[in-house]
Amino acid sequence: MRLNLKLSHKGLILVAVPLIFEVIFLATLTYLLRQAEIEVQRQVRSKAIISQANTLSKLFYDAGVAMGGYSITKSPLFSDRYDKIVRQIPQDLDELKNLVGDNSRQQQILQNLQVITVTGLKILGEAKSAIDDNRVDVAQFRARHMYKEIRSLADRLQDELRGLTEDERKIESEGPEAQNRNRAMVKIYLVIGVLLNFLIAVALALYFSRGISRRLNVLTDNSIRLARAEPLNPALSGTDEIAHLDGVFHSMAEALNEASRKERAVIENSADVICSIDVDGKFVAVSPACNTTWGYRPDELMGRRFIELVIPEDHQETIRAVRAVRAEKGNTEFENRTRRKDGSIVTVLWSTYWSEAERSMFCVAHDISMRKAVEEATKASEKRIRTIIENMLVGLIIITKEGFIESINPASERMFGFDAEEIVGRHLLCLFNDSKLFSERSQSDTHNFMENLFSRALNRIGELDALKKSGEDFPIEISLSEFETADGYRYLANILDVSERREVERLKKEFVSTVSHELRTPLTSIRGSLTLLSVGALGMLPEQAKKVVTIAERNTIRLITLINDILDIEKLESGKLDMVFDTIQMNNVLDRSAEAVRAFAEQNGIKLEMVHTNASVYADGDRLVQVIVNLVSNAVKFSPKGETVTVAVSEIPGFVEVKVVDRGRGIPPKYKNLLFQRFQQVEASDARKKGGTGLGLAICKGIIEAHGGTIGVESEEGKGSCFWFKIPPLATAKTQQAGQPPAAAQPVPLPVAAANPPLKPEEKMFG
Amino acid sequence: MKVLIIDDEEDTRSIASMSLSILGGLEVLEADSGADGISKAAAEQPDVILLDMMMPVMDGSETLEALQANAGTKNIPVIFLTAKAMTSEIERLKRMGAIGVLTKPFDPTILANQVRAILEG
Repeated sequence: MRLNLKLSHKGLILVAVPLIFEVIFLATLTYLLRQAEIEVQRQVRSKAIISQANTLSKLFYDAGVAMGGYSITKSPLFSDRYDKIVRQIPQDLDELKNLVGDNSRQQQILQNLQVITVTGLKILGEAKSAIDDNRVDVAQFRARHMYKEIRSLADRLQDELRGLTEDERKIESEGPEAQNRNRAMVKIYLVIGVLLNFLIAVALALYFSRGISRRLNVLTDNSIRLARAEPLNPALSGTDEIAHLDGVFHSMAEALNEASRKERAVIENSADVICSIDVDGKFVAVSPACNTTWGYRPDELMGRRFIELVIPEDHQETIRAVRAVRAEKGNTEFENRTRRKDGSIVTVLWSTYWSEAERSMFCVAHDISMRKAVEEATKASEKRIRTIIENMLVGLIIITKEGFIESINPASERMFGFDAEEIVGRHLLCLFNDSKLFSERSQSDTHNFMENLFSRALNRIGELDALKKSGEDFPIEISLSEFETADGYRYLANILDVSERREVERLKKEFVSTVSHELRTPLTSIRGSLTLLSVGALGMLPEQAKKVVTIAERNTIRLITLINDILDIEKLESGKLDMVFDTIQMNNVLDRSAEAVRAFAEQNGIKLEMVHTNASVYADGDRLVQVIVNLVSNAVKFSPKGETVTVAVSEIPGFVEVKVVDRGRGIPPKYKNLLFQRFQQVEASDARKKGGTGLGLAICKGIIEAHGGTIGVESEEGKGSCFWFKIPPLATAKTQQAGQPPAAAQPVPLPVAAANPPLKPEEKMFG
Repeated sequence: MKVLIIDDEEDTRSIASMSLSILGGLEVLEADSGADGISKAAAEQPDVILLDMMMPVMDGSETLEALQANAGTKNIPVIFLTAKAMTSEIERLKRMGAIGVLTKPFDPTILANQVRAILEG
């Protein structure tokens, strides 16, 4: 069984074991000495008993002798002597009794002695009395008798006493033997004690050596091993402090080991080269990363001077840097270019530390070629972007959220007539016409200005009036976009000077106006003249002349239609198509449309079928008639003779729908979407054969979309087509149109509208 | 019924005049400028005036204002005869006091009827 003892317990054992042994040893010796003493006492007592017994025996004799003398002489000398003896005897008996103590056999002897002495003394007493009474005869008789008796008593007494003294003598004679034995015992015990003491001392020494010293030695050895990086001894068993210390030592060593393993792992796996370079500039240690960085294995670099890696152009700089590292005696960084084994160049950032104690430079060499390349690329890209920005025609201004100008590009400088230096830091307000009324130094003014600017131009294009340094104002288009920088949000303002465009627009408008007037005026005369001729207002023409005049009239009308359509398209695209919105009955629109195309339909042998409804819409009636006439004209043109074209108005959820259905040749699917684009016809020859400008459907689409509606076509080739459009009904449309400018929305029943019917059917060609 | 046509374009005037007289059977007077129109209107007291919009010196609007300012002509109804591009002006013209607007180029066969229709309201 193993005892798991602590050092304190072991110390206790070291003290307690000898102590206990000493105590036992002392007790044994004490006991032995006591025995010897008892033996001595017993011998003394035996001697006393023997002496006392002899005395008693002598006294008894003396008493007899005294009595004999008295009987003969009657001398008081003998009498006194006798009396004295008689008094003496019980005392001696008592003394003897004391000496005997609790020895039962001797007590028995003593009792007998007492009886004998009493009897003897009684006889002697009687003899004395007889003598005193002068009864000599009696006395003699008695004396004789007494003598016998006394004699036998004396003998018995002698026997008894002998019995007593024999016992004692035996003891007395035994005494030295016992003492010798005791002494021998003591000697033996002493020897044994000393021997045991010695053994215990040796055992304890061994125990101490095994349990403590040797274990301490293991500890010492372990620390030496740790220092030498040798494997440690196996862990000590037990639970004492040494074992614990050893355990802690092992853990510590393990932790150290682990740390050093990690450190090694870090060094070995580091992407950066970790190395130390001695005072001569030679590599003393190099981590394996050098293979990646320079293409050399660590052993190829060890002992080589590190300057050999550096390209000659950087030698001076590097040497200077290394000197600085040594002078600094701290952490320093420097860069240089090094040559790989394969000859290529690697730019390296050296983070170094000079250790005066080790007389070495510890370095981390970080390959920054990639970073350099990225930096170069970034610089190049930055330069490219800068060039673009500086050369672009659009003005760019970067402002803070509050509107303060941070930077402007040359286009902005040219546009506003300011130099960057004089404008950067000022508020954007100073570049706008508003600055004539508001101050860029008033916080509320700038705030209101920015609010207005954001609402009009953030992430969209707003039109504002800008102001040049010269005080001249000019229109701009501006768009703000937000972006994040390290310093917070910034806004990029894209600014386009639209003065020229505005001028172009104005000229275009003027041109359109002029064209419409200048072309119409002569056309009015031509058309009027031809019409007057063709209707015979100026007298009947010969058949052939009438034919030619009709051709001229038809083409004039076509030309007018084309001009009208172009103007409409132009307005639709610029969002300036005039629309007069009013609450109108679809029945009325349908009637007017039918009126306008009936003659044309009849001419082509087509029947018109109208399906009415009581729906009302908020719309431009003339424009709706224009759309329906256009759609019906097309349907008529492309329907075979004798067929019917149906125009049906119906209310569907959320819309009023108009369908124009024909039984014509239909439209191939691929043309369905193209039809509503400008100058698109199913067949190029259609324009010639059927007439039309190719603009009609595009105009219809524009008009319907201006009403918030949609237009489309469904068709099956060979079976006919269904052109449809749907616009919001009255209620919806009114709310939708609520934001329309009053002029457009003003509902005015126009005699003009009624008196100004759409163009004659033949005027509206397939668009 | 007597119609006064005020237009600087002689051709247009002639066609309109012929349409109204030959096809429409109306009595037609012609004036080649705003000023001429105003004096003729005052002198002849036509039943209706067809007034061109775009004229040199004194355009349609100014002529109308002058007509309305003159007690002798202010009760004569005026119909504007204007290019189609000017339809956006219709409202403005009507506010100025014109009773209708006809667009150029007009259809000579129906011009007289259109004028009658406007007059009849």
